[in-house]
Amino acid sequence: MKKLIINLLIILIFFLIYFLQINFFSWFRISGVMPNIFVILVLFIALFGGTILGTTYGIAFGILIDLFIGKKVGITAIMLGSIGLLGGQFDKNFSKDSRITTMVMVIASTIIYEVGIYIINNIVFSANIEAIYFFKILFVEIIYNTLITIIIYPIMQKNGYAIERVYKGNKILTRYF
Amino acid sequence: MFKNKKSGALGVFITIIILILLVILTNTDNSNLSYFENVASTLVAPVQNGLIYLKNKINGNNTFFTNINELKKENESLKLKNNELEQSLRELENIKTENATLKEYLNLTQKYGDYSTIPGYVINRDISNYSKTIVINIGKKDGVAENMTVIANEGLVGHIISVTENTAKVQTIVDSGSSVSSLMSTSRDSIVCKGTLEENSILKAMYIPTEAQIIQGDSIETSGIGGIYPKGIHIGTIKKVVSTENVIDRYAVIETAVNFEKLETVLVINNQ
Repeated sequence: MKKLIINLLIILIFFLIYFLQINFFSWFRISGVMPNIFVILVLFIALFGGTILGTTYGIAFGILIDLFIGKKVGITAIMLGSIGLLGGQFDKNFSKDSRITTMVMVIASTIIYEVGIYIINNIVFSANIEAIYFFKILFVEIIYNTLITIIIYPIMQKNGYAIERVYKGNKILTRYF
Repeated sequence: MFKNKKSGALGVFITIIILILLVILTNTDNSNLSYFENVASTLVAPVQNGLIYLKNKINGNNTFFTNINELKKENESLKLKNNELEQSLRELENIKTENATLKEYLNLTQKYGDYSTIPGYVINRDISNYSKTIVINIGKKDGVAENMTVIANEGLVGHIISVTENTAKVQTIVDSGSSVSSLMSTSRDSIVCKGTLEENSILKAMYIPTEAQIIQGDSIETSGIGGIYPKGIHIGTIKKVVSTENVIDRYAVIETAVNFEKLETVLVINNQ
C-alpha cells in the first residue's frame, strides 16, 4: 500500500515538473538556459529507491518526454535510464547525508546526461559540433541545477528516507559495516 | 569499478543493449509510434491548453489598472485612427483588385496566394536547452501531415516531424539538427542554412560557392531543393560574413525573420 502511494506521488511529481518546465521555467532563464529538473528527479529516485526503481523510472519518464516533445523516441529514455543506473552506483559508494556530496552527484549526472544527449543527437541528426556554445550552455545548466539542489535538498532528504525505509527496510544499516 | 566477473559481464551486457537500441533508433521512423504519441498527447493536452490560457492571461494583464481617463483619450485617438485606416483599407482594396488582374496577366498567381494554409497556435516548447522543437495545436484531424512546411507572418518556421490526432511536432529551422537549402535573393547563389546552439534567432549559412558575392543585409529565401520547403519563402537577412583563411570554409551569420522567442501563431502550408 505504501509502495503504491509512493509510486503515485512520484508520477504526480513528474507531471508537475513537466508542466512547470514547459510553461513557467521559460520565464526564469539564466542567459537563455533552463534547468533540467528531470535529471535531479531520476537521480533522487535512484539514490533513495535503489538502482532498479531509478532505472525503471528513468526509462519510463524518458519515453514519456520523448513522446511529448522529442524528435526521436528513445534518446532521452536511454540517458535518463543511465542516470538511474548511475544513481544506484552513487548510493552504494557515497553518503547522501551531506549536501556537498549530493551537489557533486547532481553535477556529475547533469554532465553525463547532457553530454550523452548531445553526442547521440549529433550522431542521429548529423548536426554541426559547436563545442564552445555547448559547454557554455552546459556550464550554466550545471550552476542552475546545483542551485536548485541546494534549495530543495532538505525536502529531498526528508522524503527520500521515507522512500528508503519502505523499499530497503532494515537492510540500510548493514552496508556501512 | 568491476569487482568481479559477474558485474563485468553485466556492464558488457548493458553496453550491448544500449548499442542495439541506438541502432534501432537511428533506423526506424516515428510513424509507427504515433499511436503511443496519440495517447500521450491526449493525456497532457487538456492540462496544457488550460495552462497556456492561464499563462496568456497573466502575460496580457499588466495593463489592468490603467487610468480610465487615459483609456478615454486612447479611445478617442484610436477612433480617429480607425477612420483613417478604414479609408486606406478601401484604397488598398482597390489596389488589390488591380493587382490581381495584373498578376493574372503576368501568370504570377501560382506563387504565394495559391498555398492553402491551416492556422494554429504554439502550445509547447522544448524543455531541453539543445533542441528547439515546438508543438502546435493542430493535427491529423485538421489535415496536417508529416513534412508539411510551417510558416509565420514574417517567414519560415520549420517543418512537421510527427503528427497525432490533435497536435503536431515542428522542428524549427533554428534547431541544431535542421538544415535548409536556400538562395541569396540578389546574387541567386545557393547556400545551406543550419541551425546553431548560439542563439534562438541565428542561422549559419554554409557551403557558400567560392565565387559568390555575399552582401550584408541581403535577404535569404528557400530554394525549393530538397523537397520539404516550397520555393521562395523568406528566411531572414545576412547579419555578417565571417571569412576564414580558406575561402571554402567561410560562412555567413543569418538573422531569422521570425522571432522564435515570441512565436505564437503559425500557418501550416497544405501542399498535398
